[in-house]
Amino acid sequence: MQSGEAACKSTGPNMERLMSQYQQADSAAAASLVEFLSPQLHRFFADQMGSRADAEDMLQDVWLRIHRVRHTYRPGEPLLPWVYAIARRVRVDHYRKRQRIGSRESAVEVLPEHSASKDEGHNLPTFEDLVASLPEGQREVLTMLKVNELSLEEVAHATSSTVGAVKQKAHRAYQRLRSLLEQSQFAPHAHKGVAK
Amino acid sequence: MTCRDIDERMSSAPGNPVRTQEAIEHLVKCQDCRALMSVVYEHGQPEALPEIQLNRIQARITEDLRPVRPLPPSRFFLFACAIIFFCIVAIGAAPFGMNGWGSLSMLQKMGVFATIVASAGLLTVSIVGQMVPGNRCTLAPAALPIEILTVLVIVLVAAFRPREEQTFVASGLVCMKNGLTYSIPAALLIWLLVRRGAILYPKLIGAAIGGLAGLIGLTVLEINCSNLNVFHILVWHWGVVLLSSMAGASLGAAVEYVGGGTSVQSPKSADL
Repeated sequence: MQSGEAACKSTGPNMERLMSQYQQADSAAAASLVEFLSPQLHRFFADQMGSRADAEDMLQDVWLRIHRVRHTYRPGEPLLPWVYAIARRVRVDHYRKRQRIGSRESAVEVLPEHSASKDEGHNLPTFEDLVASLPEGQREVLTMLKVNELSLEEVAHATSSTVGAVKQKAHRAYQRLRSLLEQSQFAPHAHKGVAK
Repeated sequence: MTCRDIDERMSSAPGNPVRTQEAIEHLVKCQDCRALMSVVYEHGQPEALPEIQLNRIQARITEDLRPVRPLPPSRFFLFACAIIFFCIVAIGAAPFGMNGWGSLSMLQKMGVFATIVASAGLLTVSIVGQMVPGNRCTLAPAALPIEILTVLVIVLVAAFRPREEQTFVASGLVCMKNGLTYSIPAALLIWLLVRRGAILYPKLIGAAIGGLAGLIGLTVLEINCSNLNVFHILVWHWGVVLLSSMAGASLGAAVEYVGGGTSVQSPKSADL
C-alpha cells in the first residue's frame, strides 16, 4: 500500500486515493486529508455561519463525523460531494443548536456577523457581506460553487439535488447579488479588474 | 450574450469565465455583470488554519485508526430489502388462507399489487440512496412518502367500491392490528440493515422505512382480508402505511433532535 504522501501529485492531492488509504488505516493519508480539506471546509462554515469560532467548532465536528462514517465512502466515487454532504448536516445541526440556545436565553443573532463597515475605503462590499444576505439555499450553492470550487455535478450530489436545481439557485443568487449591488449604489465603481 | 448566459458560465466554469471574447464584449456593456464578477471573483483565498488546530484534529482521528470495510454496493441493500419484503409477506400471508387474494378481481390484483411493488421499489431506492452521503438520488426523499401515499389512495379509490358494513370499527381494528404486527418487525429489520450507512437525515429515512414497512403490512392485509369495502381499505389498510410512515418520521425526528443537540459539543468532539 502506498503512503498518503505518495497520493499527492504536483498539482494537488488525489483526494479519492487518500480517502481509500484512510479507510485502510493509513494515518499519513488521514493527516493529509485533514490538511488539504480543512481550509476549504472552514471557509464553507465561516461563509455560512459568519463566525470564525463557530466555523472552528464545526470543522472539528465534521472531521469527527467523517471519521465515524468513513466506511460509507465508496472507493472510486468523487470525494467532495460525500464530504460536503456531511458538512451540510453539521451546519444544519449547529444552526439548530444555536437557535435552541437562543430561544432559551435571549434573541441571539444567528445570521452572519459580517459588517459592511469593515472594509471601509472599498467601493464594493465583500463577497462574504453580499453572500450573507442571500437565502440559505442560495448562499450554500454559491459558496460551494465559487468559494469551494465544486462543479455543478458535485454540488448537486452534495445537496441531494439536480444540476438543473443547482443552476437555478445559482442564477437566482446572481440576480439577487446584482440587485443588491445596484441598491447599494456600488455598481458605478465596480468595473475594476474584471475583464482580464 | 446576456446576463443569464454570464450566470450560466459562472456556474458551469470553475474559473473566471470572462476570458472568452463574447463574455468580454458583454461585460464592457453591462455594468451590473461587471460589479457582480468583481465581487464573486475577488474573494480571498481560504485563511490558513492554526497548525495547532489541525494537529489536534489529525491526532484525534489517527489515534484509534483501524481499517474499515467500505459499504457494500447499493444492489446488496436493494436485494436485502426485497428479501425482507417478500419473506415477511409470505410469513404473513401463508397461515391465513389468502382469502383476500381470492376475492379480488384480476384488475384489482394488478392495480393494487403493481402499485404496492412499484412504491416499495421506489422507497427502497430512496432509503439505500440516503445511506451514503452525497449519493445522487434523483428521488426527492421528503416528497416520496407523501407522493406514494397519495397514489395509493387514488388507486384504492379507483379499484374498490363502497359496501355496507356492520362492524366497521371492530373488524377494522383487527386489520389495523394485523397490519402493524407485520409492519413493526419489518421496520426493525430494515433499520438493522440501514444503520450500517451514514444516516444524515433520520426524519426522512425514518419516514421512508416506515412507509416501506407499512407497505409490507398493507400487502399482507390485501392478501388476507376479504373485505372489499373501499372505506375499510382506506381507513384500516392504507392507514397502516400512513401510521407507519408517521411513526418512522416521528422517531427519526426524535433522533434528529437529540443527535442535533448533542453532536456539536459531544465529549469526543470537545476532545479534538
